[in-house]
Amino acid sequence: MDRRTFLKIAGVSGLSFAASCTSQPEKTLYSLVQAPDDMVIGKANWYASTCRECPAGCGVLAKNREGRTIKVEGNPLHPINRGRLCMRGQAALQGIYNPDRIKTPLLKEAGKWRPVTYAEAEAILQAKAEAAMRNGNGRVRMLTEVVGESLLNLASQSLENWDSKGPVIFEPFAYEALKEANSQVFGVDGLPSYKMDQADFLVSFGADFLETWLSPVEYARKFKDMHGLRGQNKSLYFHVSPYQSLTGANADFWFSCNPDSEHFIALGLLREGIRHGNGRSLPEKDLTAIDTVSSPYTREKVFELSGLPPELFDKLYIHLQLARKPLILGTSTSATGANSLQTNIAVNLLNLVFDPDLELIDFSNRHRVETADRRSTVLEFLTGLKSGAADLLLLNNVNPAFALPPGSGVREALERDSLFVVSFSNFMDETTELADLVLPVCLPLEAWDEYAGKTGIVSTLQPTMGSLTGAPNIGDVLLRAAFGPQRPVKNFQAYLFAQLTLKDVVRGKRDWLQVLQKGGLFQSRKQEGGLRGSLSDTYQSTMAAPPTPKENHLVFFAVPSIRFFDGRGANRPWLCEVPDTLTQVAWQTPVLMHPETLAARGLKQGDIVQVESRWGQLQMPVYETVGVHSKAAVVAIGQGHTSFGRYASGKGANPISLLSPELEPESGGPFFAAGPIALKKTGRSIKLAHTDGSRTQHERKISLSVQLEDLVHPEHHEAHGLGMWEFPLVLPLPEAYDRETRDIYPPHQHVDYRWAMVVDMDKCIGCSACAAACYAENNVGVTGEERVVEGREMAWLQIQRYLDPEQREKTTFLPMLCQHCDNAPCESVCPVFAPHHSKEGINNQIYNRCIGTRFCSQDCPYKVRRFNWFAWEWPEPLNLQLNPEVTVRTKGVMEKCSFCIQRIKDAHNTAKNEGRKILDGEIQPACLQTCPTGVFTFGNLMDEQSEVRKKVQDQRAYQVMGYLNTKPAVIYLKKVVQDI
Amino acid sequence: MSESPQLTYTEIDRTVLDTLSPPSGGYWLIVMVLILGVLAGVACWVYQIFIGIGAGGQNIPVAWGTYLINFVFWVGIAHSGTLISAILYLFRAGWRNPIARAAETMTVFAVSIAGLFPFIHLGRVWVVYYMLPYPNQRYLWPNFQSPLVFDMVAISTYLTVSTLFWYTGMLPDLAVVRDRATGFRRKVFTVISLGWTGKHEQWRHYTRGYLFFAALATPLVISVHSVVSWDFALGIVPGWHSTIFAPYFVAGAIHSGLAMVLTLLIPLRKLFHYERIVTMRILEAVAKTIIFTGLIVGYAYTVEYFLAWYSHNGVEMEAFRWRALGDYSLEFWIMVVCNSIIPLLFFFKKIRTSIPWLFGISILINIGMWYERFVIIIGGVAHGFIPHAWGLYWPSGIEWGIMIGSFSLFFLFFVLFVKHLPSISMTEMKETLDHGGGHGN
Repeated sequence: MDRRTFLKIAGVSGLSFAASCTSQPEKTLYSLVQAPDDMVIGKANWYASTCRECPAGCGVLAKNREGRTIKVEGNPLHPINRGRLCMRGQAALQGIYNPDRIKTPLLKEAGKWRPVTYAEAEAILQAKAEAAMRNGNGRVRMLTEVVGESLLNLASQSLENWDSKGPVIFEPFAYEALKEANSQVFGVDGLPSYKMDQADFLVSFGADFLETWLSPVEYARKFKDMHGLRGQNKSLYFHVSPYQSLTGANADFWFSCNPDSEHFIALGLLREGIRHGNGRSLPEKDLTAIDTVSSPYTREKVFELSGLPPELFDKLYIHLQLARKPLILGTSTSATGANSLQTNIAVNLLNLVFDPDLELIDFSNRHRVETADRRSTVLEFLTGLKSGAADLLLLNNVNPAFALPPGSGVREALERDSLFVVSFSNFMDETTELADLVLPVCLPLEAWDEYAGKTGIVSTLQPTMGSLTGAPNIGDVLLRAAFGPQRPVKNFQAYLFAQLTLKDVVRGKRDWLQVLQKGGLFQSRKQEGGLRGSLSDTYQSTMAAPPTPKENHLVFFAVPSIRFFDGRGANRPWLCEVPDTLTQVAWQTPVLMHPETLAARGLKQGDIVQVESRWGQLQMPVYETVGVHSKAAVVAIGQGHTSFGRYASGKGANPISLLSPELEPESGGPFFAAGPIALKKTGRSIKLAHTDGSRTQHERKISLSVQLEDLVHPEHHEAHGLGMWEFPLVLPLPEAYDRETRDIYPPHQHVDYRWAMVVDMDKCIGCSACAAACYAENNVGVTGEERVVEGREMAWLQIQRYLDPEQREKTTFLPMLCQHCDNAPCESVCPVFAPHHSKEGINNQIYNRCIGTRFCSQDCPYKVRRFNWFAWEWPEPLNLQLNPEVTVRTKGVMEKCSFCIQRIKDAHNTAKNEGRKILDGEIQPACLQTCPTGVFTFGNLMDEQSEVRKKVQDQRAYQVMGYLNTKPAVIYLKKVVQDI
Repeated sequence: MSESPQLTYTEIDRTVLDTLSPPSGGYWLIVMVLILGVLAGVACWVYQIFIGIGAGGQNIPVAWGTYLINFVFWVGIAHSGTLISAILYLFRAGWRNPIARAAETMTVFAVSIAGLFPFIHLGRVWVVYYMLPYPNQRYLWPNFQSPLVFDMVAISTYLTVSTLFWYTGMLPDLAVVRDRATGFRRKVFTVISLGWTGKHEQWRHYTRGYLFFAALATPLVISVHSVVSWDFALGIVPGWHSTIFAPYFVAGAIHSGLAMVLTLLIPLRKLFHYERIVTMRILEAVAKTIIFTGLIVGYAYTVEYFLAWYSHNGVEMEAFRWRALGDYSLEFWIMVVCNSIIPLLFFFKKIRTSIPWLFGISILINIGMWYERFVIIIGGVAHGFIPHAWGLYWPSGIEWGIMIGSFSLFFLFFVLFVKHLPSISMTEMKETLDHGGGHGN
């Protein structure tokens, strides 16, 4: 049997599950009498595909159990993410199984939606296209997100067949300023990638490369390759921005500056750099030009304009000067403010001056998102539509009605009577609501496609399960609608094959299967990339009169969210439920402001404030943080949908509604900042849905860090005592019991294995991918905003963020999960032995034994136990995502992290079948599996050779509140910090 | 009411038996209101069983709420009953006799109600039998290391012993009622008086038995609340993990119990014209004991602070700093003022001999003792080891409903008791008449 037949069968079984969306679920479980050859009940099949939750294009492996995809994990072979995934990638499943997914095409008749069949819908589409064609050339238009080359080609060909121009590619974050700067300095109108891992010093002027910027999973890994501890060394990373994003919170130092003034700092650094003889190998002409633009910016001038004190400026400069291979990054994903272009140009020049060979900028591996059209093109397109330039508009997975500021004319354009709008969306979002026909197409995890996040690779998509709604592939829809029965290939899959054969990626059917199995073809075909000598100098006019920040007014920043990206993630319950790491607020959209800003206005955290700009107004709760400049107010983009399903609609606020529809003239990019803004008290306040109690650790030996230069001094391994700071590291092993001094009870004897985990806090960036993976793997309940306010969130693993009490802008992230103590306080207090110490050392929670006294949670010093206060709901078909290996807990029982016991058991079975012991590293709990930076190590502590055993010998090893003598099996390695 | 300075056997009988005369309409109205309160509580509990324990206000970190506050509160109330009837009996404190019956009754009802709360508290009350140690196909055996299992044993023992003690003490009185009763009532009392005839042999057995019971019940007064305190003290939670907890809880329990005795007896004395039996001297004696227990409780509060400071343990110090100045500071100060400051007013004779003052202060102590449990149970975990997990708790409407139900049930039992069983021990009153125990001055 070939894969296609299998997928058909898998599809049929998927459909039979899908039937439960509309009718009573089947009460009977059937096992297949004749299962496909490669389907073994209880055994997962893995399909390689590509994540399409953002334009980065990470490779994924989808785990299919009995016909339904229950988990996605990174594809280890994929060069972009190397097996890791961010939280949005983890939550892709909740797109497929979203209870608000549109299940059938909808036709708008007199303002009401009428369900039609897919065939009818496609017939309408075809008829409308033909009618448009009769009206003349260019009457059919398409607005699409960034898509793979093959689909883009097909869309262009289809439109051409309808005598129309190719699609306009709309991404809310299209990096216009960065592209324009690259064009003006390097002569490349594109988005090169950065060899961050090879740098020894990194400065970012706002680039939030750990969250959303270009390819966050890739850069998180590369960042920690560079910034993580290697032996006794660690490189420095500085962040220059008026607000501290999660990326900024990971910096060794955050240089806070006035809004819209980053470029002065970059120019100041340029000036100093040239004065100190950097960039001498550049052509004289270029060096003179750079000198001309930067020479006015002395450190005093920089201070005056940006508010960055000269002594801090000097520190920034000295480290830059001392670095052998510095890399400087530009502005954030939402290129904020009026000065983005200038900042990016200055940053490019800095790279040029400090690294004239541009060794760390990889022009041959460029990011696919560079194909997105600039905002100016998109707005022109909309203006065209408004004036009646088209009769049929196709929308592919775009939501301009949400993502563009009011006044951009989206509504006017789409509501035009003569324009027939077809949306291929699966969700009734703000734009789809304006469409005339909704023709849902299958989602990426159900589709054949191809999408390369970077040039030089090919990354394939294949259906990882049968289609839940029976929606067709968009490629097939276009093929049928544009070419009819005479289409050149019979379907999109064949088209894809033809395209890839044309590119010499695939050589025959066998090769095709291999490519699909691997998830793509990843050998980089080296392209011409060197740019020496082809420098452009058009930047000089742009830099002649850089914008100066306005007087003392408050500037509003709308920033992309690691959780929702541009808003497309807002209907995924996991993403709403996992709190934002820096604020620890879930479900809500607070406006972040500095305590001084709040004090001056008599506001406090939780107050609802009305923020007014020239273009709109918005009511949001206030969040107090020193992580923003006192002249800035920061709000994450993503929530505030007016439709888009039950999890998104009416939740939070959409900061885009405060932004200007105008564009920065040179780059054609939008402003994601607005100023001046006015703040008005509403007199109301709400309880923020935050999951943290205190922001500091009250000196309790919880989240520890160590200075780099102190690493050589031994500490805990040599400690002997019973006090908080003298207590030694006590491994959860019999030899760590000391009946003389600190232990009364005899040790636990373990059989063969004692599972333990090492958490390297030096690597943790606080991205919460682990937390989302844990929700996905372990069927953790999603509680909702109200319950989070009540303190009833269910996360088994949470990223605790602790601020330094003296310097509150300094943050550490601590992944907190069940510590699987050897001396567990929870075990002794349960009257019915529900927390049970296994012979392999794991603190098991036996759900069906639990009677719900909650004593274990009371006694747990780490407060990692979670109680099922209610029966949590998985509205259909979200329940189809549930992991069949893990019990769904009923109301009234306690639960907590199990170290992914199901994966341990699985490894046991495999090892037993193969007559061997479990190998070190064979078990990967879900958090470990997805962590982009490799924070976690899991293994057997009884094995002297295991990785965990080696890592606990590290001088940095400690146990959270180890002085309680609970002997935790989760051992942390201190974060290594450097003072500058 | 007789004007005679000396009580007589007849007068005692008459006064007490008068209380068993058919009740008025007002009485039945009160009973109806209390039944409604009980039904409201039951409805709340049923709702909670269906919805989940989340109907209450508990969360992580505060996973225990008013259910356990009320549990400890009612167990505490239950203590002074046995103290008065057993310990003071052994000490031959004559002033206990007129109030012993009411106090014992209060004990039995309060323990019964306390015993309900662990059930209400459970996440899955329908599998509560998992806690019982009997051979079963589930291969389950309770964890005898768990303080909750100690608790189960302690409370059920206490309920059994205090019920038997109460019933035994009541036997001669039941016979007196039987002898004066007619009709159906006579039949009932014939059965429950277990054939008491007042023979010398019976009296001999009775007095010996009562003494042994008193001796048996005495350690229970100390042990039960000590065990309850271990629910907390055996946990490692800062603010709980302390060796002072057992004596502290016992003193607190007696403190609250004595206050509840006053709360119950003062209206009873008024309504049933017990002024000559439950004399002001007796109320004064109770008030003096309250001064004593109040001082112990105040001492315990102080020692906790001293130890927190003396331990030099940052976690402990922060827990106690926060207790007085943090989110629950109001509750803390209610506790301190009501339990250890206001009772000191009883040092003034004017106050401890004034019925309104006695009644008012007893109510305040009840409130204070409820808040003491709130401060300990909620405050400890709300501000525990891991600062990230700190959180607050406030009871939900369902919890208030169940609490109202529990109070209604207690008063319902008591109201039914006073009209159907002798609420003052006629036997013991008569016994002590000649020793001056029953004197009106």
